[in-house]
Amino acid sequence: MNLTHLGRRALLFTASLLFITFVLAPMGWLLSSSFQSEAEITSVPPHWLPHQPTSQNFAAIFESKDQAITYENRKEGDTASGGFIPSTAKNLLPSMGNSFIIAFAVVVLNLLVSVPAAYAMAKIRFIGRNASIYLMLTSRVIPDIALVVPFFLLVQKLGLLDSKVSLIITYLAITVPFSVFILLGYFESLPDELDKAARVDGCTRFQTLTLVYLPLALPSLVAVVLFTFLTSWNEFLLALMFTQTTASQTMPVVIASFASDFNISFSFINAAAVVAVIPPVIIAIMFERYIVSGLTAGAVKG
Amino acid sequence: MNTKSSMLPKALRYPVSAYDQKSAMVFLAPMMLVLMVIAVFPIVYSLWISLFDLKLTRPNRAPFVWFDNYALIFHDPMFWSSVGRTTSFTLMSVAGIMFIAMLMALLLNEQFRGRRILSTVLLIPWAIPYVANGLMWKWIYDSGYGALNGLLFQLGFIDKYMVLLGDVNKTMFLITNAFVWKEVPLATILLLVTLKSVGADLYRAAQVDGANVWQRFIHITLPALKPGFMLVMIYETMMAIRHFDLFFILTEGGPAEASHVVAWAVYVETFRKLAFGTGAAMAYIMAIATFMLAFFIIRTMGKKL
Repeated sequence: MNLTHLGRRALLFTASLLFITFVLAPMGWLLSSSFQSEAEITSVPPHWLPHQPTSQNFAAIFESKDQAITYENRKEGDTASGGFIPSTAKNLLPSMGNSFIIAFAVVVLNLLVSVPAAYAMAKIRFIGRNASIYLMLTSRVIPDIALVVPFFLLVQKLGLLDSKVSLIITYLAITVPFSVFILLGYFESLPDELDKAARVDGCTRFQTLTLVYLPLALPSLVAVVLFTFLTSWNEFLLALMFTQTTASQTMPVVIASFASDFNISFSFINAAAVVAVIPPVIIAIMFERYIVSGLTAGAVKG
Repeated sequence: MNTKSSMLPKALRYPVSAYDQKSAMVFLAPMMLVLMVIAVFPIVYSLWISLFDLKLTRPNRAPFVWFDNYALIFHDPMFWSSVGRTTSFTLMSVAGIMFIAMLMALLLNEQFRGRRILSTVLLIPWAIPYVANGLMWKWIYDSGYGALNGLLFQLGFIDKYMVLLGDVNKTMFLITNAFVWKEVPLATILLLVTLKSVGADLYRAAQVDGANVWQRFIHITLPALKPGFMLVMIYETMMAIRHFDLFFILTEGGPAEASHVVAWAVYVETFRKLAFGTGAAMAYIMAIATFMLAFFIIRTMGKKL
């Protein structure tokens, strides 16, 4: 008995180690190389941990703002010394600002749209209820690449190319079905009696929603906020199509532009990628419980 | 009131109150507007555009060509080879995701110290942007200085660094790996929920009957996981078919079109060649294929919804 117990412990330990390695090793390598100079990063075989840790890659992100990139200083910074920073580096911080503004706006609008719709579909008996649920479910299946051409032409016609508004509208459209889906499941799990009691006590539909159900639905609201934020923060394809300058470019677009620059130092790209993943990673760790319950609720019914 | 109740299905025993109907309409209006934008408008408008020979290189002349764009695409061997690549990418990804996610879910289903840490860490790949994921793997796969080459070299598997993403025989596997890494967490969570629904009694009963670990896995765990597997399969199939970001970051369809998948082809057609007509047609074909797949799956297993 004791031996099998020991064997079980050993097996679980090994499996956990493999698990952690699979999930964290790539991230760890990214983090490690973001603290290495270009000279160190190009060593063969690689230094798994930086021998001389440096923060110059991160400094480059935050200082590049004032530094005009000219032919001379571009030439000066040779690849070996890590002086190469892309001409688009100064766009990174503004683009993160754009990403935050857009994500925030999408989150707020998304709640305003999804909450009443989900409540109506879950708790009110009305003609067209099934039809609206089916429409909502269907729209989850449309691939985003199929939206690109019609959205692009529409946005162009409205003169909204390269504006944050175009991204806010499209992200809203992308995120609403999923939010409604999660909220619908949650509202359905709350007892109908609350609805009847509130109505008997003279609440309007609006009051029933805001005073009775919303406080109870808080966990699912948190999940919706997180998903909407992450989707907006991470989205790339539509942002790539609709944005051109720092007026609207989001973080993924700017980071991706580094990748197509052949001269650029990988140490700098790594630092930029680390900066880009910090907000999502913090969210994932802090709100793990909400995310997991939201994901399971959102998917199991689908 | 009379007309309203006559419109009701017989299943509704009580008439819908006019107030409820009105408030439901008001509550639903914003969502309907949004669904118009995301579902109805693109479906109709895409189909319309796909019937024109619309090229942004000459925006003023866009003749109506009926279904010529579709014919053009279906006669293009390049399109069919990209369909093949999307299919193999999807099959490899879904198989890899399901296998790794199953192992991870089985581990997380056990009770042991440190389990919480694992399940928290698991969410990290899920949460990060695909662009950052792509850059991370691009650096790992780097032929000159990357970690993969370094690791294989230090472990003695290779004598000298090899070309990775630039090798037509390796590139799709490497992209698949990057995709699987990012998608495994969600699949694990979904499978874990399914596992949790299996009663411990069942295992105990099987143990009493003398079933060993392997037999219990085959006869209890695997069948119990079936709904979870189906769910993961549906979701990840759709994700893989439409996936674009990694192809953009890692290879841009190369080398020598080795990673020229359908999603990438739509992008090239639309935003590199500026042929919006054929681009829209191609996207439409993709959307319909995805729809049919979803419909098929919902018909076969969506009964309990």
